[in-house]
Amino acid sequence: MIIYILKRVLSLIPVLFVVSIAIFLIVHLTPGDPAATILGIEATQEQIEELNEQMGLNLPLYQQYIQWVSGVLQGDFGQSYFMKESVTEAIWSHLGPTASLAILAEIVALVIAIPIGIFAAYRRGTAVDQSLMGVSLIGMAVPSFLLALLLMLFVGVYLQWLPVAGYKPLSKGLWEHFQYLILPAISLGAIQAALVARMTRASMLEVLDANFIKTARSKGVYEYKVVLKHALRNAFLPILTVIGQSFGTLVTGAVVVETVFNIPGLGQLIINSIVRRDFAVIQGVVLFVSLIYVTINLIIDLLYGIVDPRVRLERK
Amino acid sequence: MKSKKIGLVLTLFVAAIALMACGNKDDNNIKSEGPGDVGNKDYKTEMNIAVTAQPPTLDPSMTVSQVALNIAGNVFETLYTLNANYEPVPMLAESVDVSEDGKTYTFKLREGVKFHNGEEMTAEDVVASMNRWVTTSSRAKSLLTNAEFTVQDPTTVVLTLESATSDVLIILATKAQFPAIMPAAMVEAASAEGVNEYIGTGPFQFEEWKQDQYIHLVKNEEYQAVEAEASGLSGKKEAFVEDVHYHFVTDHSTRIAGIQTGQYDIAESIPLESYEQLNSSDDVQVSSYDGGALTAFYNTNEGLLADVKIREAITTGLKMDEILLASYADADLFSLNPGYMNPNQTQWATNAGEGIYNAGDVEKAKQLLQDAGYNGEEITLLTTKDYGEMYTATIVIQEQLRQMGVNVKVENFDFPTFLERKNDFTKWDIFVASTGYQLTPPQLLAVTPDWAGTKDAKITELLTAIRSAESPEAAQAKWDELQGYLYEYLPSTVIGHYKSLIASTNELEGFTVFEAPILWNTKVIK
Repeated sequence: MIIYILKRVLSLIPVLFVVSIAIFLIVHLTPGDPAATILGIEATQEQIEELNEQMGLNLPLYQQYIQWVSGVLQGDFGQSYFMKESVTEAIWSHLGPTASLAILAEIVALVIAIPIGIFAAYRRGTAVDQSLMGVSLIGMAVPSFLLALLLMLFVGVYLQWLPVAGYKPLSKGLWEHFQYLILPAISLGAIQAALVARMTRASMLEVLDANFIKTARSKGVYEYKVVLKHALRNAFLPILTVIGQSFGTLVTGAVVVETVFNIPGLGQLIINSIVRRDFAVIQGVVLFVSLIYVTINLIIDLLYGIVDPRVRLERK
Repeated sequence: MKSKKIGLVLTLFVAAIALMACGNKDDNNIKSEGPGDVGNKDYKTEMNIAVTAQPPTLDPSMTVSQVALNIAGNVFETLYTLNANYEPVPMLAESVDVSEDGKTYTFKLREGVKFHNGEEMTAEDVVASMNRWVTTSSRAKSLLTNAEFTVQDPTTVVLTLESATSDVLIILATKAQFPAIMPAAMVEAASAEGVNEYIGTGPFQFEEWKQDQYIHLVKNEEYQAVEAEASGLSGKKEAFVEDVHYHFVTDHSTRIAGIQTGQYDIAESIPLESYEQLNSSDDVQVSSYDGGALTAFYNTNEGLLADVKIREAITTGLKMDEILLASYADADLFSLNPGYMNPNQTQWATNAGEGIYNAGDVEKAKQLLQDAGYNGEEITLLTTKDYGEMYTATIVIQEQLRQMGVNVKVENFDFPTFLERKNDFTKWDIFVASTGYQLTPPQLLAVTPDWAGTKDAKITELLTAIRSAESPEAAQAKWDELQGYLYEYLPSTVIGHYKSLIASTNELEGFTVFEAPILWNTKVIK
């Protein structure tokens, strides 16, 4: 088992190496000059060249790459040209809002989706089922930015129930923190809710047809117990897989919603950094997100290995 | 049994709605902030402003970013500043004596002015700040070559110039890359990237910068205001709020929604298409102020437009009114004027060049193109959709050029790429840019050689003549001549002048806009 884990971890090195080159090249071969962007439209060529020189962007590309990678290997992702702080600090300070938003969006999605999925499966084929699935189809089709704008207009501007933009950290109080995240979480969670609802329904349908459910019913078990205890528990594994996969999508999918609601998360950081051509931050965030994905995949692989010993054997 | 499940679902929905409804109770958290009873009315102690983007720095001499300079203008002050008539008037200086040869300026400083760190401003601080400015700011470097400040006594500072020029005080009062007075120790500690802290003498002091969220300023309790009446950026300044938050809100719709709900008291850079909508709202005021000039720059260095005859033909055919209407949508928001300078800045207002400006004569343009030997070569219009008005103007120009029989293509890039390509003269023939006003002709981008590549001996000669003119009238006459020449040589053409929009809630009292929203002397009613 230890050898298997070691092998899997070592296999990440070439993956991350290729990812690092790809990120570096994409960022540096993109047209647009960071110094010109920082200095603005009225900057002169002389000023731009001066700043590029200061930022080390006049060095040959391979030297810049070596500098960057050797820094990353020592845990130093570099300095943000624009924000005048380290990339690690920038990522860290923008991680909190995104994590809060993603967790809340996931909760919103589950609170809406699982009851709907169960209910639709239970009333399979009826008008209720069809209308719930119809709504979920709309949920999947409506882009999150549109929902975000609609919620902002209706709940924020018209009803004035919740603030339309901004963010307060958890340290300012639970309600202060959540009131800024509810609308973005609904906008972001809606697509997820639709997906999870459909998955729950499909999974439940399969289980509800199984023989042990019929047996339970014939034994006179209460209907709610049959559905929630016997059926849902058995249907939950595939649902859990979807939830797990969707969480990663939520983190990266927050980009647009964060921009609309002005939440200073990772999504907004990367958008702003692209606009500012803040190379070090773009590279840092993309590498960080890649690391998260690769690590999640690794954990899933390792879990498969634990759950199913055949996986380990095959890979030997 | 079924009803129980329906009940479960309903409970969840009700819970969700109840959670949202809770927001209603706490609505006051968003809108009102602590006690602030001044006079008979209740005033807020906080002001929230939505700006379009996070500035790169608040170090005034390092940036031309409008957002940065607007915020820094609350923290830092200058020896001279502008009044509402765009005239330079003393701020941290008390008076100035100019030597007969015009090469020595002796500034008497105001006494008792304290920095935000509690220390009193001295001549050493002023000299350190000003000498840093004349060496770091590219404007100062080119306009005040080899200028030097020295200490005469603790309250007197002397500026020595290489040659006499008429525009020294107005250059010292210029907003772009302005010469902020800061403590000498702070100047010495500054790196090539700028100062490390923000300590000035302004009515507000820097408190906190939360990256990508906000900049927080607080009231300077020890601010020493001048006696003169407030006018433009000059005169008496009084901070009526304890806290000012500049929020970075990139999305237009979010800024507009924020001002409608009162979450922001002021929202900058309102898109022109929202002008009507906000103007008709009872709770929101939209102020327009002089924005700048929309200008088409021609590539005088390479390609087809290196030929002045082609530039003349194209300018003759352009219909500026159509371009402006498409770009700014509402006639209140633009004006036709051939001037490169702000038409409201009377010293420099001139109509020289109005013969060719907005001629809109397509037939004559066709004839001129034929005479110039135009043979269907393709010309490239460079633009960016990141600035809506620049893009729209470019598209209209493309259509007008087609009507003149010119083979034209538009290349559109994001703003950073646009900037990069603008600096490569092989990549474009014409680009349109909306740029803020400059205070003196030599500061104009249109005559700055390394901005759009305008290099011409006569332009340089006339600029020198303007600066060394003996009187404002003589300088004005030379500028009149130069603008006339710009419409002959045609390195660019002004398309027109535009207004910028700022939205504010009706809760503001004493609020004025001059180049930017003025936060001092402004109260926010609860």
